[in-house]
Order: sequence, then structure tokens, then C-alpha cells
Amino acid sequence: MSIPFAKVNVEAVCIFALVVGITLAITYWASKRTHSATDFWAAGRGITGAQNGFAIAGDYMSAASFLGIAGLIYLYGFDGFLYSVGFLVAFLTVLFLFAERMRNAGKYTIADVLAFRLRERPARVAAATGTLCVAAFYLIAQMVGAGALIQALVGIDYNLAIVLTGLFMLTYVVFGGMIATTWVQIIKAVMLMAGAVGLTILVLNKVGWNPVELFNRAEEQAGDGTFSLAPGALYSTPIDTVSLGLALVLGTAGLPHILMRFFTVPDAKAARGSVLWAVCLIGVFYIMTTALGFGARAFLGQGGVEAAGAGGNLAAPNLAQFLGGGAGTFGGDALLAIIAAIAFATILAVVAGLVISASGAVAHDLWSNVVRKGKDSEHEEVLVARIAALGIGIVAILIAIGGGKNLNVSFMVGLAFAVAASANFPALLLALSWPRFNTVGAVTGVFVGAFSSIFLVLISPKVWPGPDGEGGLFGFYDLANPGIISIPLGFLACWAGTMLSTEHGNERSFHELYVRSETGLGAEEAPPAPGRAREEEPVTA
Amino acid sequence: MSVSSPRERIDWEAVERAPEFQELVTRRRRFVLPATIFFLAWYLGFVLLAGYAPDFMGESIYQGFTVGYLLALTQFVMVWVLAAWYIRKSDREFDPLREAAKAQAVRDVAGQRAEGGARFERRNDEEVHDA
Repeated sequence: MSIPFAKVNVEAVCIFALVVGITLAITYWASKRTHSATDFWAAGRGITGAQNGFAIAGDYMSAASFLGIAGLIYLYGFDGFLYSVGFLVAFLTVLFLFAERMRNAGKYTIADVLAFRLRERPARVAAATGTLCVAAFYLIAQMVGAGALIQALVGIDYNLAIVLTGLFMLTYVVFGGMIATTWVQIIKAVMLMAGAVGLTILVLNKVGWNPVELFNRAEEQAGDGTFSLAPGALYSTPIDTVSLGLALVLGTAGLPHILMRFFTVPDAKAARGSVLWAVCLIGVFYIMTTALGFGARAFLGQGGVEAAGAGGNLAAPNLAQFLGGGAGTFGGDALLAIIAAIAFATILAVVAGLVISASGAVAHDLWSNVVRKGKDSEHEEVLVARIAALGIGIVAILIAIGGGKNLNVSFMVGLAFAVAASANFPALLLALSWPRFNTVGAVTGVFVGAFSSIFLVLISPKVWPGPDGEGGLFGFYDLANPGIISIPLGFLACWAGTMLSTEHGNERSFHELYVRSETGLGAEEAPPAPGRAREEEPVTA
Repeated sequence: MSVSSPRERIDWEAVERAPEFQELVTRRRRFVLPATIFFLAWYLGFVLLAGYAPDFMGESIYQGFTVGYLLALTQFVMVWVLAAWYIRKSDREFDPLREAAKAQAVRDVAGQRAEGGARFERRNDEEVHDA
């Protein structure tokens, strides 16, 4: 492991190089088209609904969804699948509550919606804090996961893998902005779907195209392991499972890198259409994770558990190798290399989306509107955005290398969702729907939501293994997922802050935000393009 | 239809009071609120069943195909049906109302400009009732 290039998988490196070559060509093309701030953060608002649907899927489905969930299903059966369901159902929250209204009321970041009707500077500081917390936890989790995965799959050293991932991510974002990020995400979504469909076909072919037969074979192979077709193998405390479910379903609607995608389409109609594309892709993909997880169980059996590594992350790649003909055969090595390349593309697309959303919080919210009070030029805003992206990326690389493999990836992702659900979600929802809501309420809500999630995770049993291996810092508190407490706390703090302050004058701006968000009046327009000009509806009067 | 230029002159509260707008938000809420309650209940119910009734969820319907897996599949179907339904309703029902509310607002602004910018509140109740 000390030699950087021990046992490098040559086929995988070749496919990597191909993927990276294509994405870099796109980045060059995108850099020619990125001039204004709207180009940089919102891809010039010229992404179509279908393209955005693929990009959302590419932005959302991380390596944790692909390799992680397939691995959990392989190890625990049914309980691994619970995750997938929550991740998908979450998009109904996004569609019903935010997708169109975000597009109508915002410009580049979620802070735009809060700043619209609240006092600008505190509201932006609060929203930027929420955004940066979520992006930081999620980004570091992805980077650590990337390092470990690429090392295992390709044989490149952990640190080198992180540096490479970080460099490509930064190239896309700094030079190509949202246009390059979007196309990287679209390509990744297509690769991921193709890979999953291919493996699913191979798995089903082996069981005579009978899915139930796959379930039966998986159950036969349970051995003395944890695998079970019934719940309870992974999550033994129901209240914790509910807490996790809540954080997933509400947290997705508070993920800045997902909400930001709605600013890239021309109008609200395209925004809602993109969610339909996204749920079709994501739903089909998550159903296929069952085929991968159960397939790995049926064909690799209990004997494959050790080779699947921590969390079963390598179950899907090992399954691919088996389906291709086994280790050492051409087919086996080729399939393994393809899956490794897909995992790499998956990671790149997600981290690029995270970095660009964090750069928006730093450059658009904090620098332009808080430090420079909107007096900077657009040129300066884009320049600061690029510098911010570079800085955020470098910090993430350093933390991922410094913290190393000791950082628990699933715990960081859980934290990101908990903060998104407890800090960002309540403030956004109330800003769009509660006339009385004010700045003090938003600021207290975001900070209480964020700090309570972080605090509850810090005292949870995951962080403080007691003498008997379980129990948190305080014996009475043993939740691993803080959502069920921190989400109500976030809402409560929004309410209490609003009621306790004497701030007035927000109801007037509420009417404007309300009308704008519902109708799209005065929404940021897409640049004129042929055929986009809408005809005025004749109103019979 | 360019609304970005006259938007400073739009009387937002008047647009909000207009029947088209009220109709839009009422109808949208009438769909979104029950749908949200339903999907949250269906999903959390599923999670609670998985937590508190593992034996029931593990029961076989046909060989290795269990109650739990069937219920999980219903979640996927629910997401697709509700999303497609909402998009369909938006295209056919909400968007025309939205365009009507916007057209009303733009006409109000035009009306103000014609009167030399004199500010007055226009209720268009009569106009809309026979619309």
C-alpha cells in the first residue's frame, strides 16, 4: 500500500482516461460559454427539463447509492433497501413544495429566496452557513469514499486517488462552471443507468428471468450471516429508523446542490418536468439495486462477505467480475473495470455539484451581497466564485487526506441530511408560506437546526462507543439519527425567533414573494432563444 | 410577454387578491396538501411497519417475495403516480390559471401607465366574474 502503483488495474485506468478525456473536452467547450454569473451558476438557464432530470439524478445518486446500497442489501437484505425507498420518496417533497417556487423566486442560491423578504445580510449569512455545513459534510464524505473505493478498485494509493478526484472536480467547476458540471452529471447518469441495467440483465439471465427465483436463491445463501428478507437485520431500533426516514424525506428538499439545479432551466414548467424525469431514473435505478444486492447474495454467498469489504461496498464490483466470467478472465476483468469507471464518474459528478453550490454560498451570498453589499461587478462575482471553488476544493482534499479512512462516511452523509432537514428545510418552507416569518426567526431556525443536529450526532453512540460497545455520551440518549428531534427543533426555533422579536415589515414583502413564487411573475428569465417566447394567453373578459 | 420591466409597478397585493390568483393557490393547495400528507403517512407507515412488525413484513406472499418487498414496491409506484399526476394537473389546470393571473397583473400595470401613472387599486371582480 506504500507503493502508489501496486497492482494497478490497467483496463480500469484506460476506461477512466476515456471518461476523463470526454469530460475535459466538455469542460473546454463549456468554458467558452461561461461569461456571466448566470452562466457560471445557472448554466445560462438554458438546460432543458429532460437534461436537468438526468443531471439531478447524476447529482443525487452518489457512490453511496450505487455501491453502498447494493452492499447493504447484499449484507442485510431488506433493511438495505429501506434507504433506497426514502431517497426516492424525498423527491415528492421537492416537487410539491420547492421545485417550481425555487425557480420562480430565486436566482443562484437558496439564500436568494430568504433574502428576498428578510433583512438581506443576516438572512444570507444564515442560509450560506446552512449550505456550507451540508456541502462540507457531504463533500468530505464523498472524497473519503472516493479515495477508499478507487484504491480498492483500481489499485491507486488512497491519497493519490483523492488528489486526482479533487483535481478533476476543480477543473470542471473552475473552468466550466455549471455548464460543465451539468454535462458531467448527465454523462454520469447515463453511464450509471447503463451499468445497472447491464448487470441486472446478467443477473436475471442467471435465474431464468424470474425475479422471485432471485429472492429464493438469495435466501438460500443467507448462511449464518446477517442477510434476511425480513426487516430488523440492520436497523434494530425502530425509532431510529423513523428518524432516519424523516431526515431523508425532508433533508433532500434542503440539499443546496439539488435545489440549485432548478435555477438552470428556463422556467418553472421545465423545473417540475425535470423532477418527473429524475424520479423515473432514480426509481428504476433503486429497484435495480435490489437485483445487484440480491444477485451478489445469490452468487457470491456468505463466503463473499470478506471480499466485499467494509459496508459491503465491493459487493457490486465483485458481482460484476463474477458475471463476466470470474477473476482473471477477460470478461471478468473488463466488467470490473467498467463498474470501477462508473463509480469514479459517479463520484466526480456529485462532488462537482457540491463544490459549485458551496461556491455560490461563498461568492454570491457572502462576498457579493454581505461583504460588498451588491456593489461588486459581475466580473468580480464570477472571479470570486472560481477562487472560492478552488479554496473549498483544496480544503476538502486536505481534510479527506488528513482525516483519512478513519472518517466514517455514512455518519457524515447522515449528518449532511440531518442539517439539511433541520436547518435549511424549515427556513425555506416558512419563508415561502408563513407571512409573519421574519429575519430573527430564520437566523435562529437555521443555527438551532444546524447546531442541534451536529450536537446530537456528536453525543450519539456512533461517536462514543461505551464500555459495552453501545450507548452514547449520555446513557439516556441513544439515537444514531438526530432528525426526529432536530427537525422539530429547527421549526420551533423559527417560530420562537419570529414571535419573540419585534421586527416588522416582512409581511409586505411576503405578498410579493408569494405572488412571484406561485406565478413566476418577474422570475429570472432565460436568455432569449428562438421558440422560447411564449404567446400571451388571450383572457376572455 | 415581458414582465421584468414593469415589475416594480406591479401591485403585488392586488394580484394576490385577484380571483385568478386565489383560485390558483386554492386549487394547488387542494392537491398538494392531501398528497403530501398521504405520501408522508404511507412512507412513515411503511418504515414503522418495518420497525415494529418485522415478522409481518417478512411473511411470504409467493416463495421469497415478501409483504415488505411488495409494500416497498408500492412506494415506488406511489412516487411515479403522484409526480405524474401533479405534472398533468399543473399543465392542464394550474398553468392556465397562472397565465390568467399574470396577464391580469400586466394589464393592471398597463392601465396605470395609460392613466399617467396614477396609483389606484383596481379590483377586477366584475371583469372576471363573466370570464
